[in-house]
Amino acid sequence: MENTPILSVKDLHIQFVLRERKLNAIRGASLDLYKGETLAIVGESGSGKSVLTKAFIGMTDKNGTITSGSINYDGMDLATFKTEKQWREIRGKKISMVMQDPMTSLNPLRKIGPQIQESIELNQGLKGAEAKAEALRMLEAVGIPDPERRYNQYPHEFSGGMRQRVVIAIAVACRPEILICDEPTTALDVTIQAQILELISNLQKELHMTIIYITHDLGVVAHVADRVAVMYAGQIVEVGLVDEIFYNAWHPYTWALLSALPQLGVKGEKLPTIDGTPPNLFNEIHGDAFAPRNRHALGIDFVQEPPFFQVSPTHRVKTWYLDPRAPKIERPRSISRLSDIMKHQADADDVVLPHEDPNREALIQVRNLQVAFGNGRRKFVAVDNVNFDIYRGETFALVGESGSGKTTIGRAILRINPVTKGEVLYKGRKINGKISKSLDREVIQGCQMVFQDPMASLNERAKVDYIISEGLRNFHLYKDEADREKKVQDALIEVGLLPEFASRFPHEFSGGQRQRIGIARALIMQPEFVVADEPISALDVSIRAQVLNLLNELKKTRGLTYLFVAHDLSVVRFFSDRIAVISKGRIVELAESEEIFRHPLHPYTQSLLSAVPIPDPEIEKAKKLFVYDPSIHDYSVDKPTWCEIIPGHFVYGNERELDGYRKTLNV
Amino acid sequence: MAKSKKEAAVTAAPETATKKMTEQELFSFVEYKPEEAERTGYTEYSYWGAVWKSFLKKKSAVIFSCVFLVLFVFAMFIALPMGKYQWQTLEPDNSKMFITPNSEYWFGTDNLGRDYWCQVWYSAQTSIKLSSLVGLGEALLGIIVGCIWGYIRKLDRFFTELYNIMTNVPTIIYMTLIALMLGQNFFIMCVALIAFGWMGMARQVRNLVIMYRDREYNLASRCLGTRLGTMLTKNILPYLVSVIILRVALSIPRTIAAETTLSYLGLGLDINTPSLGILLRNARSWFMDFPHLLVFPAAIVSVITITFYLVGNAFSDACDPRNHV
Repeated sequence: MENTPILSVKDLHIQFVLRERKLNAIRGASLDLYKGETLAIVGESGSGKSVLTKAFIGMTDKNGTITSGSINYDGMDLATFKTEKQWREIRGKKISMVMQDPMTSLNPLRKIGPQIQESIELNQGLKGAEAKAEALRMLEAVGIPDPERRYNQYPHEFSGGMRQRVVIAIAVACRPEILICDEPTTALDVTIQAQILELISNLQKELHMTIIYITHDLGVVAHVADRVAVMYAGQIVEVGLVDEIFYNAWHPYTWALLSALPQLGVKGEKLPTIDGTPPNLFNEIHGDAFAPRNRHALGIDFVQEPPFFQVSPTHRVKTWYLDPRAPKIERPRSISRLSDIMKHQADADDVVLPHEDPNREALIQVRNLQVAFGNGRRKFVAVDNVNFDIYRGETFALVGESGSGKTTIGRAILRINPVTKGEVLYKGRKINGKISKSLDREVIQGCQMVFQDPMASLNERAKVDYIISEGLRNFHLYKDEADREKKVQDALIEVGLLPEFASRFPHEFSGGQRQRIGIARALIMQPEFVVADEPISALDVSIRAQVLNLLNELKKTRGLTYLFVAHDLSVVRFFSDRIAVISKGRIVELAESEEIFRHPLHPYTQSLLSAVPIPDPEIEKAKKLFVYDPSIHDYSVDKPTWCEIIPGHFVYGNERELDGYRKTLNV
Repeated sequence: MAKSKKEAAVTAAPETATKKMTEQELFSFVEYKPEEAERTGYTEYSYWGAVWKSFLKKKSAVIFSCVFLVLFVFAMFIALPMGKYQWQTLEPDNSKMFITPNSEYWFGTDNLGRDYWCQVWYSAQTSIKLSSLVGLGEALLGIIVGCIWGYIRKLDRFFTELYNIMTNVPTIIYMTLIALMLGQNFFIMCVALIAFGWMGMARQVRNLVIMYRDREYNLASRCLGTRLGTMLTKNILPYLVSVIILRVALSIPRTIAAETTLSYLGLGLDINTPSLGILLRNARSWFMDFPHLLVFPAAIVSVITITFYLVGNAFSDACDPRNHV
């Protein structure tokens, strides 16, 4: 690392004008970028991390302007650039960007090859056959097999991960000095994510690029970053080397981010949370923007903005805590090294094994479930031959990648998706197909669902009051209007919202609050069983802990049973009692959660576990990626079965594989 | 009570900011209030209030709707009573043919020497009545059919085929048949226009219903056991308000135009019910020499058409909550 930065941002302010109101998206951010390093910018959505980096390539939206400050790059001040002509010299050639969603950043009507070639021709001056050769070389460099054939294919013929590789190929085609990756893997599955991250770091070494990662996933940060900048409300509040941020952070917001990680959870304990939402940037902010959400805010935090304090030559923090006059403050225990915590957890032997409880009652039983969509020729089997029981009072997690059928199973149990074969039993009675009216009513009241996307799962045109009491109205579960209102308010209070919210519309709430409204809507029916369909994957890191805590608390106070659908194994470990891993519509492994983490048997489970980024640089740097190849299974002669290999641990495989698994377990 | 609490929350922040604090106070911990963190910065919101506010921002639409309102009240209640002749008692008079507008005959007279003022305003009344009835009828039928078409998967095929058959045969053929078989009067015209005008609305509603049908909030309602009728009226139709309003608003000028065209061809209303179309048809033979015969009815048709186009667009924009905050 050299000492002079190649890109240097000084006190940058960016303002947006939205319907005649001014929004201060960036409020004086300063940042240096050194040659060859990987800098990660972390922060919640709305913290301004994308806006900041878009300013480096002149892609701020039309209504946004840089009001003051400078961006120095290569002897030029990019903040003064006005015309497209000036930007064309920088954008793509010197500084390039990879966007979040590979599904929308390629032109669906053009072949892949010419799209890469276009970028090469525009920026490198190569023509025709030369450019094509270079494009083919790029395709190969980003790990796309058979580039000659792939060159002539359209984006829809590529999978999500492959498309992201193409996008990266386009971005690095002209050897930029700086590559900005704006959440490059958020839209991808974990196993693909790991591969893409590896690809980017290989390209970085090969092409000597400097990389800026924008991400909200601290696991990814720990994996890739040399330095980390934490952003909050349009400001950079802490900057330091990755170890300094993870092990020696000083800003309360960084602490909050680190300690709210579900990976750090201890079973049966509450996760520390950050209440509330980031400030509304339309308003003027006094003092430290994080103060209203900080449990240990100082008086001065509300009055005066803190300056930067230097902790080490590489580590700067913007907080009053480091002022000599400030009282001594204990840093939260939970930000101590994750590796220690994980080791402690792995050694603990006090795990209660639910399968040994003889009195447990199966609340939901799924038998040979098959769900198929379409008909006749175009039949698609989403879920096939799935068997499991969910016992009263437990949290049963269903983990898999997108398209594996995990949501379909949840919806099939709640009868949203039709069951084509097999049956679903609720308290021992069959509930799929035609059932009596009274049982139907009982199932509706007893089984409820919490949805993935809080933005899509609330009716925007109805007040919160109506949304929450919808179930009450359907079955007239209240005495009179006053009783109904009281029930709605109780439900709101139970999920930690203010009762006066009942008279508002959903769009006035943040994602976390909306998700809690969705939970209140399900709870008001007094259910026993709740399907939680990825309830936190659409939420910001700081809000995930709130929702998880709420779900856990409700489990205790109401004795709820959950089917928790997730794609992230690390969250599930802390949250659930048993885990089922699903791949391509089949459950491949099922066991108690600690058991699955300690003795993963199926190769797919192993690859999932190895791909999950863990928010601790030490662990991440030592980690080896394990890639799952489905073709290792030879099921042509030896048919696979669903087998309980030791009590409580099920795995899917044929005799030969099962023998291998038994050997690893020494049984 | 909720309100006073809120005000307190708003004033609390600047108060602490302005109060002078000692250094010791500045560097001591402040009591943490979780409910303060929970509040968001939005104010009270009402859907129709916001609709109205953003509608008022469109100046051209507001002006035109005022003009139309005046025209409407004038045509329906004032014009005929204040005129010197009554439509029912008009008699042809050869000596008064083609008089240009003057103080006795405000809009002049027609080719048969009859007062044009009362004819024009009576026609305007007919056209306004017809088009509003047809607009409402089309909307009602279109929404009902569209909802069923979109929500009940089994009926999709049936309605799609029906739609294809009906839209592929030119309307003019139906209208000719109806005019020949059932005769021509106000009521038949109304029913005929509705019977062949609902398809466009139904198709659009159907497409939108399909779009919203499987959104997560509707799945949530299904999990809560909400009945079909409630789902449609509470969960789906509110999302279609802006589209429906636009369509209704545009169907009014379209109906006037259709009536004018049909009457012009002799397929519309019968000769005893004057309408703007019949007046225009009548005027075509003479308007080169006597332009007043064309100008007055054409002006009224234009004002109504333009108004509904502008107001419809502005109002449907205003109904879209994305334009509110």
